[in-house]
Amino acid sequence: MTDAKTHTPGAHLSRRSFLGTAAVTATVTAGGLWLPRAAHADTPKKGGTLRLGMEGGASTDSFNPMTLSDEVPITLCYAVMNGLIEFDAEGLPQPELFESWEVEPGAAKWVFNIRQGITFSNGKTLTADDVIYSINLHRGESVSQLKGNLEPITEITKLSDSQIAITLSEGNADFVALLGDYHLLVVPEGHSDWNNPIGTGAYLLESFEPGVRAVFTLRGDYWKPGRGNFDRVEVRYISDAVARTSALQSGQIDGANRLDPRTVDFLAQAPNLNVVRSEGTGLRYVFCARVSDDPYTNQNAVLALKYGIDRQKIIDNVLNGYATIGNDHTINPNSPFFNAELPQRPYDPDKAAWHLKEAGLSGSEFRLTVSEGAWVTMPDCAQIFQQSLDPAGIRLELNKVPADGYWSNVWRVDPFCGVIWGSRMTADENLTVCYSSTSPMNDSNWKNETFDKLLAEARVELDQGKRKEIYATCQQMASDEAGHVLFAINDTLDGYGKNVMGVNKHPRFGFDDLRVAEKAWFA
Amino acid sequence: MKRYVATRLALGLVTLFCVTVLVFVATNMLPGDAATEILGRGATPETLARFREQLGLDDPLVLRYGNWIWGLLHGDLGQSLTTQASINEAIWPRLWNTLRLAGLTALVSVPLAIGLGVLSAAREGSFLDRALAMGALTAISFPEFFTAYLLILVFSVKLNLLPNLSTIFPEMSFLEALRAMVLPVMALSCLVTAHMMRMTRTSILSVMSQPYIEMAFLKGVPRAAVITRHALPNAAAPIIAVVAMNLAYLVVGIVVIEVVFVYPGLGQYMVDAVGKRDIPVVQACGVFFALAFIGLNLISDVLAVLVNPRLRRPGGGR
Repeated sequence: MTDAKTHTPGAHLSRRSFLGTAAVTATVTAGGLWLPRAAHADTPKKGGTLRLGMEGGASTDSFNPMTLSDEVPITLCYAVMNGLIEFDAEGLPQPELFESWEVEPGAAKWVFNIRQGITFSNGKTLTADDVIYSINLHRGESVSQLKGNLEPITEITKLSDSQIAITLSEGNADFVALLGDYHLLVVPEGHSDWNNPIGTGAYLLESFEPGVRAVFTLRGDYWKPGRGNFDRVEVRYISDAVARTSALQSGQIDGANRLDPRTVDFLAQAPNLNVVRSEGTGLRYVFCARVSDDPYTNQNAVLALKYGIDRQKIIDNVLNGYATIGNDHTINPNSPFFNAELPQRPYDPDKAAWHLKEAGLSGSEFRLTVSEGAWVTMPDCAQIFQQSLDPAGIRLELNKVPADGYWSNVWRVDPFCGVIWGSRMTADENLTVCYSSTSPMNDSNWKNETFDKLLAEARVELDQGKRKEIYATCQQMASDEAGHVLFAINDTLDGYGKNVMGVNKHPRFGFDDLRVAEKAWFA
Repeated sequence: MKRYVATRLALGLVTLFCVTVLVFVATNMLPGDAATEILGRGATPETLARFREQLGLDDPLVLRYGNWIWGLLHGDLGQSLTTQASINEAIWPRLWNTLRLAGLTALVSVPLAIGLGVLSAAREGSFLDRALAMGALTAISFPEFFTAYLLILVFSVKLNLLPNLSTIFPEMSFLEALRAMVLPVMALSCLVTAHMMRMTRTSILSVMSQPYIEMAFLKGVPRAAVITRHALPNAAAPIIAVVAMNLAYLVVGIVVIEVVFVYPGLGQYMVDAVGKRDIPVVQACGVFFALAFIGLNLISDVLAVLVNPRLRRPGGGR
């Protein structure tokens, strides 16, 4: 039951044997108890039509890797295209179309070997030119969302048809993980017709109606052993949670993402379903105070809010327990760099009152802008926040605004508002994007030179032990000083029919990193 | 009559033009634009500027509107800002879906509503009349998504008789397609039947108090014949108007039903486009919605005149 490593790992895919033993799927039994189950209990079987029902897309979706931003289009892209790097169930970067790599000390000069003998769906063989073109889609005169992340790349050189060298302006030990970003998909050189995708993935696009359905057929022999098992894959857009779960319950679909935490307990009791729960990997829920605006310029004022929030009550009541408690920084507990020594900040109204007094405030200075645009249950969370601040003598005023245009009108504009932060694969990216002085996304406007210096130091450090120490300090600083009242990190909840095998929890996205189409099979 | 129709058509065109201007201006007044919505939170001022340039969002409003309406006059609805695909191709299946659902619902609900309304009026004050009134008020009072979820719970989840996903795909047979549409048609019928039925009953009863109806009764005409031959034609105008209103609602106002039953109609398409500030798509949907309203109103007015000749002379008979 615990170990069933029966699939055949290819020589170049040795990580798959690792996956087999390390990755376990959390399964809910009828009694509601979570039990680990061997993920790869069987040898993958071929055949069948996988039908997925998903939220996280719109009728405006396309296969353009530059504008990918939600789960449905990413899933569709992963069915037909491959990335350079794939993340395993532990969240560690593993080879995909980059087969292996070398790095010089200082982490600024990298050489990557491109997997050989791979063909695109149009018959072309994968070479260095395709890889360089695909990376360059996100550089220079590009509108890609990834452009900022790739800015440190100063040069990409073709060494041979199977090898490229990348030079960075400053070292980055996590550069490989950066290349695992979901925007970085490989297409043949010169390809730009984003309604007719060409890739090296397991499936071919048969038909696509954005906002309705995409249908894929198996391309033939897939280069990843044991993967690409279905004859046909259908992804249907089902944005309504009730419709999605009803369709799953009545067997109209085989998998549904983003289950509602408030009803998942009932769903888990259905005899024909499996629920896969990836703990603390989802969105970070934050009430963000801008420390450059009054009254939050006073560190005590922010600490009063941080001690005055009843995190567990919000998690229990609003998220139905399907979340991990947050400690006011964005690193999640699954991260290898998570600072477990840092004590969890408790709900302590007395301490909150003390900090309020230290700040010299009366308690009526706080005004939180609330909107479903930040996340749907934010108004509920804010109400519990408001109640839990009451015993500390803080009267939090709630200012409700519409969801439309939230990210352009409220976020980074209002001094105290809600924000969600997605999972990022490296500690460096998490901390740099949210808290470094130069980041345009640093929404709490907390700027600290020592923190920046520590981050830069860790970025070029190849010794993992030393990096862990530095990141631990960074987490402590962000937790104590930045303006994020980060109270919870939610769980990702997926539902599958009992006959869907080979699905794991994953630290990046639900639906097994949105690669369920190529990873799963039918029993 | 011809002149009447021609005037109404001309007025309809003016209304249509005003609608397109309003939709265009309103969508542009929304905070953010296609560039900020597509690039999302990670956008930098530089990528935003480049994206706006690519999409032509820097052009003055009047020029962009002019280009759009010029295309429309040539039958070209333009290109979606987000997918770069032709709107002409994307919108037809959606429009067809919307019309099919509206048509099927109308086929079920209009005869049902008028029949029940007449029955109600004929048996005014009876148990049946009161039961129908109660049923109608209940159906109107429930929010549409609640009715929809109840139907899904009973027919899809518990009984597993009907699919709750109602999308029609080309590979489906006629019967499968029909089966897929049963639940949304039921949910929508609950909603619109009540309204039309109540209106039918009220207008017939108001005509019933007229002297010529009393005359018919005194002549000894049976009640059923009085209602169908004398009252109904005279009560037709308001009934037709309310039927047209409800049909228009079925075309333009059923986004919630579309979402709950995963039925890809025009409404959901427009809502997605508004979210992404995809103005050409919003405009295109707006045109069709306006056309539905204007067209149905025109038809209802013309029909009202046809069934009741007294309305042909302005001011006469009112």
